[in-house]
Amino acid sequence: MAHCERASKPLLQCLQKTYTKGLPGLQLQSTRAFQTTALAREEVQTEIKSQPFHKAPDPALVSSPRLERKLLRQGVSPIGSRRRRVALQDSLNIPFEQLPYQCFQEARKVLLADREEKLRDITSMREKISRLEALTTEQAGGEQVKKSKLRAMELHLEHLKIQADINDPLVKKKFEDGQGDMSKPIYRYLADRKWREYRRKILVQRITQMKVVPDVVPHCDPILDTKLYFARRQIQPGEFVDSKASFEAPKLDVQMFEGGEKLVTIAVVDPDVPNVEKDGFDFNMHYMAVNVPISAINTKVDLAQLSTESQVIFPWAPPVAQKGSPYHRLSLIIFEQRDSQPLDFAAIKAQETTRENLLARTLETRYKLKPIGAFLFRTQWDDSMYEVMKTIGYPDAEIELRRKRDEKLPYKRRNTARMRG
Amino acid sequence: MRTTFSPILASLANVFRIPLSQTVTRPAATAALGRFNGNSNSNSTTNAAAGSSSSTRQFSTTSAMLKRHRGPTIDRRITMIRYFLHHPLTPRPLRFSRTRFLRHWTIHRAWHLYRAQQRRAHQVELERQWHAMRAACEELRTGAGDGGKLFRKSMIKTGVFRDLFPIEYARLQTEGPPAEGWNHEWRRR
Repeated sequence: MAHCERASKPLLQCLQKTYTKGLPGLQLQSTRAFQTTALAREEVQTEIKSQPFHKAPDPALVSSPRLERKLLRQGVSPIGSRRRRVALQDSLNIPFEQLPYQCFQEARKVLLADREEKLRDITSMREKISRLEALTTEQAGGEQVKKSKLRAMELHLEHLKIQADINDPLVKKKFEDGQGDMSKPIYRYLADRKWREYRRKILVQRITQMKVVPDVVPHCDPILDTKLYFARRQIQPGEFVDSKASFEAPKLDVQMFEGGEKLVTIAVVDPDVPNVEKDGFDFNMHYMAVNVPISAINTKVDLAQLSTESQVIFPWAPPVAQKGSPYHRLSLIIFEQRDSQPLDFAAIKAQETTRENLLARTLETRYKLKPIGAFLFRTQWDDSMYEVMKTIGYPDAEIELRRKRDEKLPYKRRNTARMRG
Repeated sequence: MRTTFSPILASLANVFRIPLSQTVTRPAATAALGRFNGNSNSNSTTNAAAGSSSSTRQFSTTSAMLKRHRGPTIDRRITMIRYFLHHPLTPRPLRFSRTRFLRHWTIHRAWHLYRAQQRRAHQVELERQWHAMRAACEELRTGAGDGGKLFRKSMIKTGVFRDLFPIEYARLQTEGPPAEGWNHEWRRR
């Protein structure tokens, strides 16, 4: 190993020299490679480095324990491992797209040419769309024809926008680092693909297995990535939530994968309230808010912070489960309002007065809503449930539900004569 | 008969993990027996011994079950997989650094893009040739001035591939001529 390093060192230095000569336009910011004396680099160094390294150590390059401690005392932690930092000290810091590998550079040329072509396609498609929009309905051949043509063209334009950027390694890298800009279609597309690979499958499985889909809403095809947090702890779909944690309203992280802004209605429905009289279960609306704006960038929704004058119909009611009752499915449904038009808050507030037996289906038909996102968590009797019930003044906190024991069938003597046949 | 141990022996057995005899392993039964006999001395001894041995196994039948099954079952397939996976001749898995993987991915995508472009160009060329041939036939049918007789004659396919077979089909058809042309040096051996 050591021999190998010793032998390859001069070779590497030689290579480094040729790189710097071959790539004159590089903005090299390496701090340590003094042995390669290129004029351009020295100029850059004198401009950038006014202080010596031990005075102002770089957290990405510092390797000696003394300087690391100094940095830590200043409150800056070194980046990466010490091994990595030592390796970076000797590196030339060539930007990724200028790395001098022949095959890689040839591949980049191919990809860039393809991107140019895609951009030309995008401009031509935009021109086509504007030309079609300029035409009157008679010239375009009818209302329906014009509309379907425009729709197809816009879909193709979106496809082209994604295709123009999907082969870019830096886009891939940024997305994997979680630094993707969600206002751009390519990052939204990548995030959507990643969500559909695993997390959406889990969500759909939970809401169908626990029968939220036929019980609460007749059909739901989630297109929003929803995350739910109780007291800054993320809840997995279908998880049992401690009653103390669910006393306060949760926070939502609703990621939309389309451009533009949407107005949504958020409802939390409990379809499992036991009703002893009718020997069945009732519904209860634990939360409802209308006209909540969401977009691909604006994802955070705090249910406790929404305005009570214009959005919240029913404020958060902590979920309770009586002792002995089966677990309650608290299902959160996010409805899309038709054409993203705001609903009349005052009228809804006047009409919806009771939480009890307010069905999500009723809301859906009454206000022309469409479910586009769902989430589910469960509540059952636990140690802190009694306190929660006392705090909110739940009337039947002391009652424990028992399953009625089936009455025994009367004993009947077997008809052995018949068996003997 | 039931054997009894002194407390020293029992504690030694506990230290060295030596299982005691069969009567001692059932503490409830021995205690009941001792009470029945009224033998307080032996009762205390056996209780101590039972307490010492109960840390290892009390009412468990696991060892008996294991003995019945004669050890864990061995899947030969898994053994073979493990053998070949960890064999020194097996090459190590391909691991790339972050940037190297990204470079690899770039080249991979570019290669696939290039192949797709080639395929599309080929498809377009074939379509162009097909349309040209079709246009020529149409021209022959309508523009030759003989009422399409020539066209009809040329379209007759009786005897095609029946009496003689085209010599071109004797070898695999390729897109173009071979790179090195005719091999004049070739002789039948």
